[in-house]
Amino acid sequence: MPETASQEIIVRAFDIIGSPLGVSSDDGQKVHDKIAPLLREGRKVSLSFDRIETIISAFLNAAIGQLYGELPEEKIRELFNVRDMAQEDLALLKRVVDNAKLYFANRKEFDQAWKEETGSENEK
Amino acid sequence: MIHRLATIRSSHEGFERLAQLWSDAASLYSGRLELDLSECDFFDANMAAPLGAVLALVADKFNRIEIVRVRPAIESVLRRNGFLTNYGYKPEEDVGRTTLPFARFQLDDERLFADYLKRQLEGKGFPKLTEGVGKVSQQSIFEVFQNSVTHSDSRLGIFVCGQFYPLEQRLIFTIADAGVGIRSKVRAYLKSEMSSGDAICWALKGGNTTRTGSRPGGVGLKFLHDFVERNGGKMQIVSGDGFYEYGKGCGTLAHAELPGATVNLQVNTADTQSYRLDSTITAENIF
Repeated sequence: MPETASQEIIVRAFDIIGSPLGVSSDDGQKVHDKIAPLLREGRKVSLSFDRIETIISAFLNAAIGQLYGELPEEKIRELFNVRDMAQEDLALLKRVVDNAKLYFANRKEFDQAWKEETGSENEK
Repeated sequence: MIHRLATIRSSHEGFERLAQLWSDAASLYSGRLELDLSECDFFDANMAAPLGAVLALVADKFNRIEIVRVRPAIESVLRRNGFLTNYGYKPEEDVGRTTLPFARFQLDDERLFADYLKRQLEGKGFPKLTEGVGKVSQQSIFEVFQNSVTHSDSRLGIFVCGQFYPLEQRLIFTIADAGVGIRSKVRAYLKSEMSSGDAICWALKGGNTTRTGSRPGGVGLKFLHDFVERNGGKMQIVSGDGFYEYGKGCGTLAHAELPGATVNLQVNTADTQSYRLDSTITAENIF
C-alpha cells in the first residue's frame, strides 16, 4: 500500500546502528542522518528504541539534540516522537533535549556567565 | 634512569606519585626507564590505567621500560589484570574473576570497548546490566569513555582497568588517556586563563562543553556526577595538576602534573534503589 505524507514513519534505531548499544556519537549521527531529512520534508517520524539496551547522552545529543540547531522547536514537537524507551532513558533524553535548547539559544551567554562567575576574563 | 614508585592507591597521594613519575621521565629520550616497585607495598589494581597512560607516553619517546623488584602480592594483582604482561611478565589466571583487565583502546575502538565491558561485567556477581544500578553504572562508564573519545585527542589511546570487590559490593573502574588534558581544551574554548582544577569544575557543570559544532554536549559528566551522588559512590577526576573528588571539590596536585585525564569511578553495587527518576516524564512531554 503506498504511504501518504501524513503517515508516521517508524525509524528503528537498532536497525540503523546494528547493536543494542547506543554509546557513541558516531552511531547517534547515523540515526540523525536518517531522521533529519524526513523531518525537513515535513514527515512525521517516530524513533523506536526497541531492542536498544543502553544509551548515553553523547548518542542522544548526536541523534536528537542537534535537531534543535536545524529545525524550529515547534516543528520538532509537531513531527517527532520517540517510542519503546525505558523510563530511565526518557529521563536522560529529557536532559539532553533541555540542554540542546539552551545550547543553541544561549551559547555565548553561558560562557560569558561562567567567565564572570570565576572572574577569568584574561583573554589569551 | 631509575624511578622508585611507592604505594599507589586511588587517592590524591597516589595520583601525585604518578604525576611525579611523569615529571621525572618526561625528558627521557631513547633511553631506559627502570620502574622499581620495591617500595610499593600496595597498588590499587584500577590505577594500572593511569600508570599505563604515563608509561605509554614514556615509551612513545623511544624509551625501553622495565618494571622490576615487584613485591609478590602486587605482582600477582598486576599479572592477574594483565598489566604486567605488557612488560614481559607471565599472565596469571584470575581465579576469583574479580578483575576488569587492563586494556588499551584506540579512539575509534568504541565497539571493541563495548564488547570488553559487556564481557567483563557479566557473570561476576555484578547487578543486571538492564536495570537499576547495573544499567546506570554501565551508562556512566560509557559516558566517561565517550568523553575521552571526543575530547582527549589521545593519539596513544585510552587505558582502562577495573576491580570488582564482591564482598564490599564495590566496583572501581578507571579510564585514563594520554591526551591534551582538560585545562587545555577549556582554555582554548573560553580563551581565558584557568587552572586545571577550575577547568575540571567548569566541565562538570551541566550545560558546559567545549564542543562548538552542531552536536550539543555538556550532559555526560553532570549525569555521572548525579549518579555518584545518588548511588553513594565516589568519583575522582585528575588532569594536569587538577584533582577533583566528589564531595571534596577541586584541588591541585602539589608537585607535578599528570598528563591527559583520568576518571576513577567507584560504584556501590549493593544499591537497590530505582533510577526511574521522574515518572512524570513521558515520551509526549519531552520535546
